[in-house]
Amino acid sequence: MMEMEEEEVGRRNETRKVIALIERATNSTVPEVDHLLLKAIKTVVRYSDFELRLAAETLMDLMQRDHSQVRYLALQIIDELFMRSKLFRTILIENLDQLLSLSVGFRRNLPLPAPPAVASVLRSKAIEFLEKWNVSFGVHYRQLRLGYDYLKNTLRLQFPNMQANALRIQQERRERERRSKEILLSKYEHLKENLSSIKGGLLSTLNEIDECLDILHLKQELESEDVLDDEEIAEFCSLELQQIRLDAMKEGEKVYESSDNKVVFDVLRELYKLLVTKHLVSIQEWISVLVRVEVPDNRFRDSTLKKFIDIRNRLTSVKIKCEEAGCTLQNTSKLDEEEDFWEEGNAVSIENSSGVPNKKNKHSDMPSTSRKVSNDNLGLLNKESNGSDTDNVVRERKEVKSNPLKSKLIAEAPVVRWGSYLDSWGSNRVFMANQRGLELESHWGRVDDEAIIPADKIAELNVLATPYEEKQIEIQPCRAPLRRGGLCQRRDRKLCPFHGPIIPREDEGRPINQSPSEEMNIDSRTDLVEQLAKQAVKNVRDRDIDMAKKREIDKKSLKRAKLAKVREHNEAVLRDAALASTSGSATIGEDNEDKLSAREQKKSLASMLRKKVTSKDRISQKLLSSHARDNTVRLNDSWDDVKYREAFPNQW
Amino acid sequence: MQTWKQIRDREDGKLPSRTFANRIKSNRISDLQLSNHKEIVSSHKGSINSLQIDFSERRYLLSAASDSSVAVYDIQRATNYEGGGVISKHSSLFVVDKQHESGHKYAVSSAIWYPIDTGLFITASYDHHINVWDTNTTKVVVNFKMPGKVYKTAMSTLATSHMLIAAGTEDVQVRLCDIASGAFAHTLSGHRADGVMNVEWSTSSEWVLITGGCDGAIRFWDIRRAGCFRLLDQSRTQLGRRPPILKHSAITKDSSTKLRTAQKKHANGGGSKQLPIGRVPSKGPMKQRLHPGMLSTQDRATAHYGAVTGLKVTEDGMYLLSTGSDSRLRLWDVESSCDTLVNYETVRLQTSKPIQLATAQDSALVFVPCMRTVKAFDMWSGNTYTTLGGHYECVNACWFNQQDQELYTGGNDRQILVWSPSRSIADQMDEGANEDQDNWSS
Repeated sequence: MMEMEEEEVGRRNETRKVIALIERATNSTVPEVDHLLLKAIKTVVRYSDFELRLAAETLMDLMQRDHSQVRYLALQIIDELFMRSKLFRTILIENLDQLLSLSVGFRRNLPLPAPPAVASVLRSKAIEFLEKWNVSFGVHYRQLRLGYDYLKNTLRLQFPNMQANALRIQQERRERERRSKEILLSKYEHLKENLSSIKGGLLSTLNEIDECLDILHLKQELESEDVLDDEEIAEFCSLELQQIRLDAMKEGEKVYESSDNKVVFDVLRELYKLLVTKHLVSIQEWISVLVRVEVPDNRFRDSTLKKFIDIRNRLTSVKIKCEEAGCTLQNTSKLDEEEDFWEEGNAVSIENSSGVPNKKNKHSDMPSTSRKVSNDNLGLLNKESNGSDTDNVVRERKEVKSNPLKSKLIAEAPVVRWGSYLDSWGSNRVFMANQRGLELESHWGRVDDEAIIPADKIAELNVLATPYEEKQIEIQPCRAPLRRGGLCQRRDRKLCPFHGPIIPREDEGRPINQSPSEEMNIDSRTDLVEQLAKQAVKNVRDRDIDMAKKREIDKKSLKRAKLAKVREHNEAVLRDAALASTSGSATIGEDNEDKLSAREQKKSLASMLRKKVTSKDRISQKLLSSHARDNTVRLNDSWDDVKYREAFPNQW
Repeated sequence: MQTWKQIRDREDGKLPSRTFANRIKSNRISDLQLSNHKEIVSSHKGSINSLQIDFSERRYLLSAASDSSVAVYDIQRATNYEGGGVISKHSSLFVVDKQHESGHKYAVSSAIWYPIDTGLFITASYDHHINVWDTNTTKVVVNFKMPGKVYKTAMSTLATSHMLIAAGTEDVQVRLCDIASGAFAHTLSGHRADGVMNVEWSTSSEWVLITGGCDGAIRFWDIRRAGCFRLLDQSRTQLGRRPPILKHSAITKDSSTKLRTAQKKHANGGGSKQLPIGRVPSKGPMKQRLHPGMLSTQDRATAHYGAVTGLKVTEDGMYLLSTGSDSRLRLWDVESSCDTLVNYETVRLQTSKPIQLATAQDSALVFVPCMRTVKAFDMWSGNTYTTLGGHYECVNACWFNQQDQELYTGGNDRQILVWSPSRSIADQMDEGANEDQDNWSS
């Protein structure tokens, strides 16, 4: 008795479980059923027919909901179970027409419910599922065939036609394969005919390379025999020394390019290049053709394949030998390019790493050209930037070199705009007021020749008027994360109208939390920046060619430092404000997050049904409101009245 | 187990072979479902209006559709197989449609076999014509021009002395067309409005014709005489089935009074006449005198509110089933001409078109097209036995094949569906390699 009760309770719990799972899976706004939930539903349903029946019932109930999203998710679960459980199929097939009318919405009196976007997805998905089901299980269920036939042939709905598509794709693939086979076969035939010539070409190259190598080694042996004596061997008594000596000998055995074997090396390199770029590739190709081709008579193929593999092995071994001798392909190509660049139309022999003399030659060449170029460049730069200054600068440079004091002074001097006031810069002269060279004496009366303008007056007159120039501050984008993804690119000074105060943010748009330590950092950083700036100034003064550039950098860094300061200040103010307004704990970041989460929550199934308020709606609301209408009507009436009175002035 | 025992009983002679066969049949009928192995490939492009299987061989299904086409299917032999031989498809043997030189112009409302053999069939159409076709040559043999759209035609299966086609048309008069002479043999006038939706010959007398009109009246005609001799009145009721004649004498006064009191409870007021059960309403002298014309007050009685859309006489000819556009299915006792007050649980019936009812063997079940489904009712209790849902649009016609215990239904979705008893397990076993099984991912 107890057991039974327990079982009953357990069952009831279980029932709640599957229903709850399905409810949870369908109560979502995302376009896919949660993977884990789906898995859970499957496992629950798999081991209990009771649960399965319950699930089918629940799902059919959900399909009747007045919400396309719920139906859509339910349909996905139905599809999962339908493809798996026979019992589920038999249950569902009974009500297939109902299911179809709820998911495809083909009955005029039962259209699909609200969010139209989801509804259209639901319809297409349902049609797709039906086709899939029909392909997999149509043989066993007349109802499926019937439903499919009805939708396709009577209602003429467009089915995706997966199976036919798959068939077509397969057909195409087969066709492609057949064609490639044909190509292979023709290649094979070609090979059969031209085997001897191909082989001949390969072997001749191989032989030539062999010969070249032989020549080189012969010479080397002659030389090395001179170098090494038996007496010397005795000196290398210890093991290590012996080892070193062996290495040295090996190194010595290597053939180096020299003036007398240069011709041989050139030929060798040529041949090597041929070998690597042409023969190795071609033989690889032939081998792959032979491996892939299918011919009734295998004997020729096998024998050729064997031969080719042998040849390939030989080729690779020869290639290794060549590389030991010092031929490398990449190097040559690179050097080639360089040569083309520097010396046009000069098809010079292939460079290699061991070609020391050649390289030297190059080095002697290179500086001259490069210097020329750099000079040109500089000149261009100067002309572009401030042509008038260049001479000055150059002259100054010369002087600076001679006079350290002056350089020091220059370092301290302020940078001012050029103007006429510079003529009397620092002078204490007084000006004669009436001696301008114009002979206008006694024209208007007596003239005081000695009248002077005092120096302080002159200075006063010559005071440089500097209009206020706003410092160009780069306005930072707001960079708050947008709902659609991406960051807000609005540029406002302090406050973004959508995302509040502009604060430094990470790459993903999360605000960087400012803590006191951070501030300290910033402080120290700004200090550092300033120091750096000073240093930079000094450096600039020393290296006056780059002065202009450096100054710019300097300015920038200063600006940055200032900006950082401003920002820091702003933030401090804002934080204070926030602290004052809220009870104290909430920081800006948290506030933002709260808003975001609220928005998330708002996006529920109900919100999907809500209609978006468009500007048209707002306008219509304004224009069609009873008040506005009344006003219009009254206005019209009064106009009519006026017209009438004008037309018939004698009638009151 | 039950089957084996029955077989042994039959062997032993405990069970009469006829009873045995009936039991097997009713067993099979009891689990009708949409057949997966038999499929009729409908060659119609419009809704199926009528279905009939011939009476001689019970093999050829004649169907009429709204696209003015008529087709014949062989339901015994499949034309091709599908799904590894599991599904047998029956395509039409021939189709007569608009392209045919003497085909109908508009929807064919009814197509029936000549009751004697399959050499002839009769089609009736909305283009005001009734055609009699030679099946083998598919040529029109006789053609009748009717005064309006023809809703329904019927031929008596019992007739030995006449070859009359009864035709219900837009016209209020029912006409009897004689194939032998090619003329109208008789015109039966009595219905009042909007034509006659349904005609049905009695299964007990070759002279009796039953018609259901759009005025809601069901009339009985003796074609040998003028005028109708019986009019069914929905206010004349009796409770339940009339007891068989044999047991008539056994009924005691007690029981009859009991029944009468029970009857009174159910009787609705308003001057409805109650006939005591068990008393065969004798044709009194007044009735006799009334017959040809009948009293005009009596002549206005109706069997349904609205039009009578379906008529079906039971096999023994004692009862009549009728459906009306009031979504009611009524079972009438023909002899007493009373409504038996069986409450069939119909929800809604199609009202605009005539529908075709079917009864199962021994009149145990009645199949009624209820919108998109076909409902099988227990005829005597009115309970829904099963609901056969498979059509995607309204069902118009159903025909029960007594021989194979199969039901054929046709609907507006231009499908002809076969409902058959579920196959034995042995049959299902050799369905082939691709069996329908669970497919859980491990």
